[in-house]
Amino acid sequence: MVSLHRNNTVQIAALDARAEALGLKRGMGLADARAMHPSLDVVETDPAGEGRLLEALADWCDRYTPLVALDGADGLFLDVTGCTQLFGGEKPMLDTVLAQFSAQGFDVRAGLASTAGAAWAAARFRGRLAVAPGAERELLAPLPPQALRLEKPVCAGLDSVGLRSVDEIMAAPRAPLARRFGRELLIRLDQALGRVDEAVSPRLPVPALVVERQLAEPVVLTEDIERLVHMLATALKADLERRGEGARRMELSLFRVDGAVSRIAISTSLALRDPWKIRNLFRERLAAIVSDFDAGYGFDLARLAVFSTGPFDVRQSDLAGEAGAEEDDLALFADRVRARLGAGAVVQPVAVESHIPERAIALRPFAGKLLHGGGQRVPQPLLPERPVRLFGRPEPVEVPATELPEGPPMRFRWRRALHSVVRAEGPERIAPEWWRNGEEAPERDYYRVEDSEGRRYWLYRLGHHEAGKPPPRWFMHGLFA
Amino acid sequence: MASCAVARDAVFALRREIARIEGTLPQRLDTPAATDDAGDAARLRIGVAGFDRLLGGGLARAALTEIHGHETRECGAVSGFALALAGLLLGQAKEPGPVLWVGMSEVFREAGFPHATGGQALSGIAPERLLFAEAARIADVLWVAEEAIPLQRLAAVVVEVRGNPDKLDLTATRRLHRRAQAAGRPVLLLRQAAQAQATAAPVRLVVSPALSAPRRIFAGPLEASIGRPAFTVSVDKCPAALPGLFTLEWNPDECLFTERANPEIRAANPVAVVSLSGGRTDIAPAAGQIVAFSKKGASGAGGQPASQQHGADRGPRRTG
Repeated sequence: MVSLHRNNTVQIAALDARAEALGLKRGMGLADARAMHPSLDVVETDPAGEGRLLEALADWCDRYTPLVALDGADGLFLDVTGCTQLFGGEKPMLDTVLAQFSAQGFDVRAGLASTAGAAWAAARFRGRLAVAPGAERELLAPLPPQALRLEKPVCAGLDSVGLRSVDEIMAAPRAPLARRFGRELLIRLDQALGRVDEAVSPRLPVPALVVERQLAEPVVLTEDIERLVHMLATALKADLERRGEGARRMELSLFRVDGAVSRIAISTSLALRDPWKIRNLFRERLAAIVSDFDAGYGFDLARLAVFSTGPFDVRQSDLAGEAGAEEDDLALFADRVRARLGAGAVVQPVAVESHIPERAIALRPFAGKLLHGGGQRVPQPLLPERPVRLFGRPEPVEVPATELPEGPPMRFRWRRALHSVVRAEGPERIAPEWWRNGEEAPERDYYRVEDSEGRRYWLYRLGHHEAGKPPPRWFMHGLFA
Repeated sequence: MASCAVARDAVFALRREIARIEGTLPQRLDTPAATDDAGDAARLRIGVAGFDRLLGGGLARAALTEIHGHETRECGAVSGFALALAGLLLGQAKEPGPVLWVGMSEVFREAGFPHATGGQALSGIAPERLLFAEAARIADVLWVAEEAIPLQRLAAVVVEVRGNPDKLDLTATRRLHRRAQAAGRPVLLLRQAAQAQATAAPVRLVVSPALSAPRRIFAGPLEASIGRPAFTVSVDKCPAALPGLFTLEWNPDECLFTERANPEIRAANPVAVVSLSGGRTDIAPAAGQIVAFSKKGASGAGGQPASQQHGADRGPRRTG
């Protein structure tokens, strides 16, 4: 039995069949129940855990249809349009789903109907019912208004005016109903009867292309999974060729026998079609996640979904078959590294319009094609003098208080070592970007300094000496060659 | 005598055999001058005659080259030297490809990320010609480097590691070197704050910064200005097995190295000639002198040198 804190009382949130046989009900006070049966075994509810369980179940239900949506805290919508014939029809599919759930130890009510509303009502109020198209009216008529997915106050209002079944609501004139109970009631009614379309918004994005393979015998070995990927990719290739496209973002879903689903996503910088290349990318990914990848008792269903595609330019190769392979090599290399080390593993510096040194160069993930922005040598005098190494966040530097208020420091302490400045150039004043930091942000005065051993640093002073204000601070921002 | 000559012959034959396996001819047997002015496509000429001659005609293009720096704060010089070499490489290539810089996250965090604008100002390598790869573990860094070396497009691969990780041993460097040889691609292994260690790279250079010469303007040198970057490059290991110490100056405008004729550019300020030990720069100077006690005062152990060294407090206490 599960208890729940609600409105300062502890109530029964859920209970099993044996507790029900003792005459207990949902919503009953726990104290009352304990008084009746002192030996009750009570567990407190864990909404977060239940949410996770429901998500996991939704993942598992992906094997029936890609369109799975959560319904509140205790329900799932499966849009099985077009999927039923894969399971031998509506009723057999419903039975299969229920059998597989009960094999996992879940007590599930399910309904199947042409509209989400009717299926909801069938699941909650009838159980195990496949409603024929057009039979929604007969299903709903005898049910109470709660079967229309209405909120509590609306139900109470309907009850108070004597409308105790859907039949009576359908018979009542529509305009006064809408005026009194809001449009929600009529929308729900129309949705359940199929007069208004209702979109089930799926939990996960719907892939552009999917291939899957049911396995009679579960696979465990990584090599087998790779071979499986290759088979799926081969099947996918024909579809991609028909569309004239290649895959850019792919996801491999592995459904474990005990219901857990592993999802392995890869993305590529060039559109891919070749099964071997796809297989190699997944091999890197599998090698990277091998530590937190648990095959358990094996996987019995594998699905390869393509979420985004890109134009695949077919290039004619020369007689040696070598044309244009080089650019692809670099892109494939970047993809392999990314698959193993994460999305930010291969980056390319891109010059950005900014005077702030750390913002002047943005690091973008390498997109497969080298940018041909400049390529030509820029005359060096036009470039600002910048260090070859730049600290991502400038490091504070201690400068003795005896220093002159203006100009570069004579000595400074950085990383606990004292450096004495022999020569210095500067300052180069870089003002902060007012549209970003506000107009009050202090400026930086950069100095290029060389210490007694020839090491060249880039230091800056943040702010100025002003009476009544704390002294400006110094920072180390980079190292020159 | 005869047996000695036979033994020497055998040694020479073995040396030739080793050289053949390694793909290099021992420079000590050949005359170094032979390769002096021949434009060798397999070697990158630095442009400094002594340096090139010592390396047998320049840095081998199809090889691993180690560039060491003593301290992390000297990494500006090490990366600058590597960028200058990469700039030379790209400048000589017909169709310059990108340079891949693979580094451990640790070194990027400790020594700062290579700055593309600074690199361009220094060596003329446009930001589009640079690619960076970052990995947290040394095994992944080596994997990325080994995967990258055979790529046809890349002009060079720079691998940057800090300290002496266990995994970067003779085997790992040998793998890198063999791949570089097979692909004909220069691989620069930058090792910041590292000790010299057994390596398969034929050349190991130790780079440290040198005081720069002042900027030159029309009126002569400009006082207290910081001119072109200068490096002290010590050839720690090379096939010729000869030591070498050079003070090189890099000219960013023309992309060439020059050897400083007079390396004794001194700091304008009077500073200590001997550098203080790193990290402990300002130790308080010793307050007084250690004065040996006279032997007369010490009785029992008086003649022992240990008692003399222990000084003032111990001797009188024992006697009195």
